[in-house]
Amino acid sequence: MHSTPGGTASEVASRWQRGRTLLPREPILLLLPVGFLLLPFFAFPLAILLRNSFFRDVDAGLMAPDFQIGNYAKVLSDPFYLTCYLNTFGMAVAVAALTLILGYPFAYYLVRFAKSSRIFLIWLIFTPLTVSIIARTFGWIVITGDAGLLNSVLIALGATDQPLRILFEVQGMTIGMLHRYLPLMVLPIVSSLMKIDGNLYRAGRALGASGPHVFWTVTVPLSLPGIIAGTQLVLAAVLSDFVLPTLLGTTKFRMLAPTIYEEAVGRFTWANASAMTMIMVILMFVILLAVTLCLRRYAPWSRAL
Amino acid sequence: MTQSSDRSPFLLSATMVGVCVFVLAPTVLAVLASFGSADQIVFPPPGWSLKWYVAAFENETILRSVWLSGGIAVAVTVISTIAGTAAAIAINHHNFAGRGLVKSTLMLPLTLPAIVLGLAILFALPSLGLKNGPVATAIGHCIICVPYAAYLVLASLSNYDLTLERASATLGANRLQTFCWITWPLIKDGIVVSAIFCFLLSFDNVAISLFLSRGDTLPLRLMQHIQSNADPSVAAISTALVMFSVVLMVPLARAMRPDRLLW
Repeated sequence: MHSTPGGTASEVASRWQRGRTLLPREPILLLLPVGFLLLPFFAFPLAILLRNSFFRDVDAGLMAPDFQIGNYAKVLSDPFYLTCYLNTFGMAVAVAALTLILGYPFAYYLVRFAKSSRIFLIWLIFTPLTVSIIARTFGWIVITGDAGLLNSVLIALGATDQPLRILFEVQGMTIGMLHRYLPLMVLPIVSSLMKIDGNLYRAGRALGASGPHVFWTVTVPLSLPGIIAGTQLVLAAVLSDFVLPTLLGTTKFRMLAPTIYEEAVGRFTWANASAMTMIMVILMFVILLAVTLCLRRYAPWSRAL
Repeated sequence: MTQSSDRSPFLLSATMVGVCVFVLAPTVLAVLASFGSADQIVFPPPGWSLKWYVAAFENETILRSVWLSGGIAVAVTVISTIAGTAAAIAINHHNFAGRGLVKSTLMLPLTLPAIVLGLAILFALPSLGLKNGPVATAIGHCIICVPYAAYLVLASLSNYDLTLERASATLGANRLQTFCWITWPLIKDGIVVSAIFCFLLSFDNVAISLFLSRGDTLPLRLMQHIQSNADPSVAAISTALVMFSVVLMVPLARAMRPDRLLW
């Protein structure tokens, strides 16, 4: 056996084998920084949040350490909070549907027909993610405002004499969200479309299926994992969106994130805010679980992809 | 899917063009509006001027928030990239008990809506001996940046050949030398991409800063400005931010192959 400066070959080999023992030193050392971040500033705060949701609000920023479910009962029975949840989840579903309708054809074109322009199109859909959300939102204010581009064009064309009210309404917020979350839907779909074996199309056509038939029976089912991943990303993002409801929306259509912020920071009802947040998280995970179960039941092939 | 020689249907191409216009429209309009001369947001503006740039760069509050957000973002980038890279190497190189669990735990902050995290950390601040401010904000940002950093570095490690490190060790290199000469060149691109992402995520963050800062980061100041006096000075700042993103795209485009991340 040759001796090298790093030790004999067998010593070196055994050093590289160390990773397989039960309490290996090196991975633990490598995971320490992450542990120092995630234990005190992720796990611990979530535990506090859960605990607070069972406390009782006494005074501004003061909670009595009771253990009671009054906050949950209050949030789930008060029409104000219920409307808030309904608005937010309705919005999440609507935005997910719109991004899918707009994003799927884009992804399909990109994968199926774009050749030299493919990388350009990927960057085009990806780039907005790197531009400040405030800048993009401001752009929508310029477009949809009462004296904005859209209304100027419509009035110049004589389509309307009164400016259409889009900004500071549900419509304005929807457009903003559709724009903000489109990449989250498109990128996973592109990823799953790229993985489909092109021979499957040729086989479908050779067996006599028409183009649309192949699309609906081969392409769409096989891209289902991408659709699901995109939908999950969009749903979760809309639920916690604070910027767009605040800058483009209206207080007449209450959304969850601004309401939770107001409860916690404006009114200091911390126990109540905690319960609202917990309900939001639970609802989100119920939806994700339901989607996963449905997929397993009705589209078992998607797990193998 | 391989490229096909079919021509795309007209409707599909039209949708494609529409989406492209839709995607670019707000950014372009924000930039155009910054050169307007009107005191309100009017488009098309009655004339063109640079006065909103002057107004924006004389606004002390905004300028201070730029430095604050920049400082927080740099700290977040350094901390999360180092922590994320170390974690990615641990997961990729070592086969220890609970490896799968560690990997999924690491990605957990991504599945949680950011506002939940912001609120939770706010409640935990007193017990941790912290107050609202830049430190708390930076820590909060790190929690959402670390999973991205770990994921992006892991992606760049996916084709990594461990025998290279073994070869380097057998040839007498120590751990540090192996890292500098073997590991670093191979994962450098992933680290650059993750650093740029962490910077942008932190610099643009609202959901966490809302609860943990004193309302003084750049995005929060811009939001306050839009809400109180909707004048085009925000457009001037926005244009500067767009330019900043464009500048960052150069190293990003060099280091990131979107096709490698996507398929």
